[in-house]
Amino acid sequence: MESFGDNHSIHTTREGDSMPQQSEILHYAVSVVGKDRPGIVAGITGGLFRLGCNLADSSCTMLAGEFAMILIVSHHRPFSKSRLYDELKPICDGLGMSLAVRTLHTDEVARQEADGEICIISVYGADQPGIVYRVTNELAGRGINIMDLNTKLIGTPEEPVYIMMLEAALPDGETPEGIEKLLENLKKELNVEIGVRIVTPVSF
Amino acid sequence: MPVQPILRYPHPVLKKVCHRVEQIDDSIIALIEDLIDTMQAGPGSVGVAASQIGVTLRVCVVDVSKNRHGKENNHGLLRMINPEITARSGIAVMREGCMSVPDYTGDVDRATEITVRFIEPDGSEREITASGFEAVALQHEMDHLDGILFLDRIASIKTGLFRRKNYS
Repeated sequence: MESFGDNHSIHTTREGDSMPQQSEILHYAVSVVGKDRPGIVAGITGGLFRLGCNLADSSCTMLAGEFAMILIVSHHRPFSKSRLYDELKPICDGLGMSLAVRTLHTDEVARQEADGEICIISVYGADQPGIVYRVTNELAGRGINIMDLNTKLIGTPEEPVYIMMLEAALPDGETPEGIEKLLENLKKELNVEIGVRIVTPVSF
Repeated sequence: MPVQPILRYPHPVLKKVCHRVEQIDDSIIALIEDLIDTMQAGPGSVGVAASQIGVTLRVCVVDVSKNRHGKENNHGLLRMINPEITARSGIAVMREGCMSVPDYTGDVDRATEITVRFIEPDGSEREITASGFEAVALQHEMDHLDGILFLDRIASIKTGLFRRKNYS
């Protein structure tokens, strides 16, 4: 689950314009992946800037040697997915990146808010198949929503270590202790370390 | 005195280094009352700095005693003029949000224990040693007096994805 900018969008390219009504704004999910090199972000965002698009939300990172960009892009009507695609495709081709564009429905871009506590669950141990699946399957069974997840394989080829860090919103009635207990059997079975701690933001 | 509106970034005053108070007169006393009223009106607010209500003076108020993170360990309502940190130790990360930067949170490194020297509204000097949540709140509010927002101190680019909702 991502948090999308709706009427709170971060306007990086059209500051100061009066905001059209939400229904007048079109949203697209754009993903770009390819071998990392300098100039990818500038190339893609340059194309978006020329189109007059807003970058409402984004997450871009290097995964192994690949650079992966996930962007929620908005533009007010009239606009079309093909116009977005046609602008970005030659840029991606030039950079050797794959491109996918999906139109988002209005109900998909509503900002999601976490109701309960937010916690970080850390899992690490000797690498083995199924760590991510087994842990997240337990969480899904309890209706716990994952907001963010990162994994990394570290250590040596002889002794690989798997690390997973995820952030989850706890539904009402769930506690970090309850989650630790839920994962207790899995911890023993997989012989991994599992920690749960609250990171709910404090307001100043 | 009335509750004052909290300025939001990009209001330029929030990035100003505030001036020391040279003399405690009625305007300073009134400012402190405004800060207290504004803090108590904010949902779960535990502190307000003068720059957040548009006054570039080194004055802030902090009160974590009603917050669940601070109720066990606090100095009650602190009215601080020209506060200075004279000692700090320890380091811990806390995910912070700020009334002047709504809808965004970030993980910030803060000292876990600080000693703060400041002037009370009656002109007397006071020094306290605060720890835990109160120490973080003090550092956050005192940063405002130097035009520093938590955005300037985010320790990790991994940030909260959600709007703050739970204030207490």
